[in-house]
Amino acid sequence: MERKYWEEEIETMPRRQLEKLQVERLRKTVEIAMGSKFYAPIFRERGITPESINSVEDIKRFPFTTKNDLRSTYPFGIASVPLQKVIRLHSSSGTTGNPTVILHTRRDIDEWADAMARSMYATGLRDTDIIQNTSGYGMFTGGLGIQYAAERLGAMTVPAAAGNSLRQFKFIQDFGTTALHCIPSYATRLAAVFKEQGVDPRDTTVRIMIIGAEPHSEAQRQRIEELWGCKAYNNFGMSEMCGPGVAIECQEQNGMHIWEDNYIVEILDPVTLEPVPEGELGELVLTTLNREAMPLFRYRTRDLTRILPGECPCGRTHRRLQRFQGRSDDMMIVKGVNIFPIQIEKILMQFPELASDFLITLETVGDNDEMTVQVELAKATDDFQLLDNLRREIARRLKDEILLTPKVQLVGKGVIPQSDGKAVRVKDLRQNH
Amino acid sequence: MKTIKQLSIFLENRQGSLKRILSALSDQNIEIQAASVADTNDYGILRLITSNQTKAAALLSDIGVLVNVNEVLAISIEDNVAAFSATISSLTDNGVVINYLYTFSKDGRLVLIVRPADMEKAELVASAQGFQLIQGWE
Repeated sequence: MERKYWEEEIETMPRRQLEKLQVERLRKTVEIAMGSKFYAPIFRERGITPESINSVEDIKRFPFTTKNDLRSTYPFGIASVPLQKVIRLHSSSGTTGNPTVILHTRRDIDEWADAMARSMYATGLRDTDIIQNTSGYGMFTGGLGIQYAAERLGAMTVPAAAGNSLRQFKFIQDFGTTALHCIPSYATRLAAVFKEQGVDPRDTTVRIMIIGAEPHSEAQRQRIEELWGCKAYNNFGMSEMCGPGVAIECQEQNGMHIWEDNYIVEILDPVTLEPVPEGELGELVLTTLNREAMPLFRYRTRDLTRILPGECPCGRTHRRLQRFQGRSDDMMIVKGVNIFPIQIEKILMQFPELASDFLITLETVGDNDEMTVQVELAKATDDFQLLDNLRREIARRLKDEILLTPKVQLVGKGVIPQSDGKAVRVKDLRQNH
Repeated sequence: MKTIKQLSIFLENRQGSLKRILSALSDQNIEIQAASVADTNDYGILRLITSNQTKAAALLSDIGVLVNVNEVLAISIEDNVAAFSATISSLTDNGVVINYLYTFSKDGRLVLIVRPADMEKAELVASAQGFQLIQGWE
């Protein structure tokens, strides 16, 4: 009989045992990171040693690591091992300032391939599949990361790489490709190419699509599934953690299992940096537990998500992350107060009178910042008083949350501008911004 | 029920928002019997009595206009201010609180569209006073 999991013991490990494994691996990771010029002085200062780690809760003793830390230590300042042990380097583009560099030992590459193979297996991919990878094979981890994992899985892997849609079209048909790895927008574009060539993508052999590296909605996923007549699974990776293979949707397609044998997961309030109540929205903060060349502690991913409650029917015990809801670095500073669009969204969602779109406009009036929140009404009313009360109540509740009173403007459908099907949340028209 | 249906439409204070609604109605040959616009700085409510309220509400919803349907009294009186005054007096003297009203002329008579605070009470008073109530054109 075919096995249900790639690594049953790890994937279905009881939570208590999983936490024990996390503690063990955190100790080991601290030991490794004592070799890092970046972390060693921090550990000394805070009295962090492998022996002093007793529970997952000890993670709170560590400082946060940010993308800025990666930039300021560019290229090798965080490395925990001698560079001679490093066999690969990946890097993200440096559109603002230095790029960031992530180093891998042979073991890191091996564990990464295994985690991504495990992820692929969870979507139903098998060694009988033919996987075409449309990611760039360069510094981007979506190329080699997927290649190694698909090979580990034992599937026939087609390293088609990015672009050249007509060639992708030909390969899919000639080789009988059964699975594609691509970014969601490319899945849609490629479907259009098929139609231009007079072939319905539904008639191809493609049955599974692994999509990621680009934020997308549930509606987009369903659209891809309809276009291709296949299943599409949301895959989360980030180069700082390794690359693809950090979390993935199983066949239940309800949240991404994050591999907790490899990461300690925290969901924190992006303002206070304290944990949010279980199940609430916050910033995903990750600590690597299975990396050597460049372990990172409490890395602020800036992605906003929540832990989905309850157990997954698939039997995996690793908790599930909700599809990402935005970025915590969308933070605005208004009159000296830190505000996230998500705080405003959270309040607005409590009003059944409102639809889901809103727009925050920031302007300079005199010497002051002024905030206007346009909210979309869900239905009309004949009662001015009702609208007026609604407006006042929204302003009041927002003030409780963000500590300043915005102007609230009620608008009808279709007024709030959209970009790429995603609502624009903030328009900053302030001088000096 | 001695009432008629009224459409209340949320209107943004933006150029073109009224035009969009009117052309949608005209495209479907729906006639407007009466209209009234009440507004604040940011938005308004357009109240409409049309030749086919059900169809009008559906087609406006379809193009993304926010429409509410509710009931109002339509009182047909002689088209002069004395009759207007007498009618309002009999309503208010009998304790009917009027939230808003607007008027239009039809077949040489004046029609008052009245939205009372308490519809049940207003209907009772209107019947007792022998008002001529229009019960819809649909």
